Amino acid sequence: MTNDEPDATDALSRRKFVYAGGVAATLGLAGCTGNGGDGGDGGDGGDGGDGGDGGDGGDGGGTPTSTPMGAIEIMHGWTGGDGKTAADNLRDTFGEEYPDLELEWNPIGGGGNQNLDAVVANRLQNNNPPGAFANWPGKNLQRYDGVLGSVTDVWEEEGFQDSHIDEAVDLHQRNGEFRAVPLGSHRLNNLFYNISVVEEAGVDPSSVTSISSLIDALETVASETDATPMTQAMSGTWTTTQLWASVMLGKEGYDAYMNFVEGNPDRAAVQSAFESTGTILENYISDDASSLDLTASNNNIINGNAAFIHQGNWAAGAFRNADNFNYDEHWGAKAFPGTEGMYMLHFDSFLYPADNPTPEATKQWMAYVGSQEAQIAFNRFKGSIPTRTDIDLAANDFGPYLQDAAEDFANAENRPPTLQHGLAVVSETMTALNDVISSEFTGPYNVEAATDGFVEAVSN
Amino acid sequence: MRTIFRAIRRRVNGTEKPDDGRTRNSDRRTRNSDGTRARTDGGVVSEDDRGPPDPGVLGRTRDRINGRFGSDFAESTPFWLPPFLLMGLFVYGAILWNVVISLTDFEGFGQPDYSDLDFEMYVRAFQDSGVITAGANTLILTVAFTLSTLAVGLLLAILIDRGIRFENTFRTIYLLPMSLSFVVTAQFWLWIYNFNNGIANILLGVVNLGPFDFIGNRALVLWAVVFALMWQFSGYAMVVYLAGLRAIPTEHYEAAKVDGASTLKMYWRVIVPQLKGATISATVVLMVFALKAFDFLYSLVSGYRPPNGADILATKMVREAYANLNWAYASAIAILLFLLALVIIGPYLVYQYREGNL
Repeated sequence: MTNDEPDATDALSRRKFVYAGGVAATLGLAGCTGNGGDGGDGGDGGDGGDGGDGGDGGDGGGTPTSTPMGAIEIMHGWTGGDGKTAADNLRDTFGEEYPDLELEWNPIGGGGNQNLDAVVANRLQNNNPPGAFANWPGKNLQRYDGVLGSVTDVWEEEGFQDSHIDEAVDLHQRNGEFRAVPLGSHRLNNLFYNISVVEEAGVDPSSVTSISSLIDALETVASETDATPMTQAMSGTWTTTQLWASVMLGKEGYDAYMNFVEGNPDRAAVQSAFESTGTILENYISDDASSLDLTASNNNIINGNAAFIHQGNWAAGAFRNADNFNYDEHWGAKAFPGTEGMYMLHFDSFLYPADNPTPEATKQWMAYVGSQEAQIAFNRFKGSIPTRTDIDLAANDFGPYLQDAAEDFANAENRPPTLQHGLAVVSETMTALNDVISSEFTGPYNVEAATDGFVEAVSN
Repeated sequence: MRTIFRAIRRRVNGTEKPDDGRTRNSDRRTRNSDGTRARTDGGVVSEDDRGPPDPGVLGRTRDRINGRFGSDFAESTPFWLPPFLLMGLFVYGAILWNVVISLTDFEGFGQPDYSDLDFEMYVRAFQDSGVITAGANTLILTVAFTLSTLAVGLLLAILIDRGIRFENTFRTIYLLPMSLSFVVTAQFWLWIYNFNNGIANILLGVVNLGPFDFIGNRALVLWAVVFALMWQFSGYAMVVYLAGLRAIPTEHYEAAKVDGASTLKMYWRVIVPQLKGATISATVVLMVFALKAFDFLYSLVSGYRPPNGADILATKMVREAYANLNWAYASAIAILLFLLALVIIGPYLVYQYREGNL
């Protein structure tokens, strides 16, 4: 603003400007303090911030307008490694299949799925849901009560009930409606090993079929080699929770495990599982476990610094991507000891929000997710297996490990739901279980207190 | 914000001359426009040029408001009201709303039920051992970090102020860590603290100590975090102190020397007491940084569940909100954190107010 030329119009317009600012601010205040409860009209989010729509004023225009022929917004957490390759392949094949539908691809990585979950929670809370988002089905669906729509029509039209395994049919329903569509499945009860290390120790992994023989094998590795018997990533608590779940299943059996997740825990069984887990963590993991994350832990196997690792079979993806590290030659896999004949089940699924910005297009996406093409396109690269029962893996370029995993999957007597990955318990219980692990079982290992904590967490 | 309050108070007290701004502006206008009749700028009414205004309803209301709150109150509103409202809405309004949510039982998705307000969430928080531990950790972290950082910063500032060679280089070296993001420094320290091959344990091994499990040991991890944060921010404290030291006239040093004070005594009795202002402003900023330790912990473990023994209220709050969708409970924890911050920052505000700076 120049002061050299005093100009009435200049001053006037400046005044008007200031007035306009004050008025706009007042209106904004009125708009934002208005009725926030009116969430039904989330569709007109485009005018957020100008006070016209009280419900949306708070997010200051952050709500993108959903154009009538808008792209389907897909939110997921696959931002790196084989996850990204698999997700990108899924997107590309969808584009070939449905050339007239557009995808708004929105990957949000970091912190496991914590960042994704937080963003999705905010979006759902603000009545601004994406078209679909990746998450776990099962009990985890309870978390989204009231904000998920129904895709029962998709399931019926596509005949998914017949083409997917029964567990998928059960676990994708909530309050009598289908809420999600599965994309693939990982197995949780695995024991991976570095073949040269176990051979050096003279351990035959196929003979390790119980928790006590596992502990014996770990002891042998410790005494016969310089390698760490078992590598455990303990920078987070989730690895310990899922290890405990596998030990529980392997030592106490399917019924004890199911009773636990269903809220009728047998204290003696819980304690016994904690004792074995404690023995393993106290004696056979590396000293720097507390600063290891999953990648570092997997690298311990790849580099031959460790003999065994318990992980979901996403670890197989890391092994496969390493150079000169081949299945059945350098690394091997077996069911976690004592859980042979079982497949601890995990799902990657897409959930369908209510008030969907693109309901029809999203349903086509959901139909695609459950189709043969999509499950092949995604799982082949992700290192997971299809949840459909009618896919011939060998004919579709799935690697030998995945073919073995799919065979175990098909032949499993029981497919118990995973504890740590959303299927078995509601998210709040899962947080409580991890709180217990964090405070009682990250060293020193307090079996009594951890048992009490777990029993209390699921009993509530 | 402070300026606004000052302005308001002046107006309320009527200490400012009624036509203060107007006169100034008129002078400028007059000078600038080479003697043409000045159009006043401080007023609101555009009828100025057309002779004495007819009061009207609006005018009378304005006069009444001015009579109540001091003259020019209504006229000056365009200048202070917009920021006042924005600040009120986005800062204090948000805090207030948060308080209200913390009184509900809001969880999951949907809308909070505002009809049933109680302090249940606060009762729950005080009975939750997790919150108690996190609160204690937050307090320890804040106090230990602030004190140690001030001490190191003061030491560095005095050393650099002794007229050493490469002064600027050293200053840059010490200040550099502050420019790094928490994401970077957390990863540094995760490596440094590694049990097997971290440099911290290698160095301690030289003097036959350790190795220590800095991250995994619940008794050590909080202090390890404090140390890492101190490393990052002592450079900032140093710069603040350095500015304070430079403001002290050389005569004070000389006088102390003439009186036969030793170097140590000179600093302790003469120089350090004059750094009160620098200490207070650095303290406030450092405490704010301590409350932001969330970023550091989040990056350390790539998630909002810090290692056992290092949980703070901020991480606990985010876990409750986003892992459990317990919005009301998380809001209650947020308010507790806010009160903690207020307890810390309150004495500073009181001090500033007494000094007449507020």
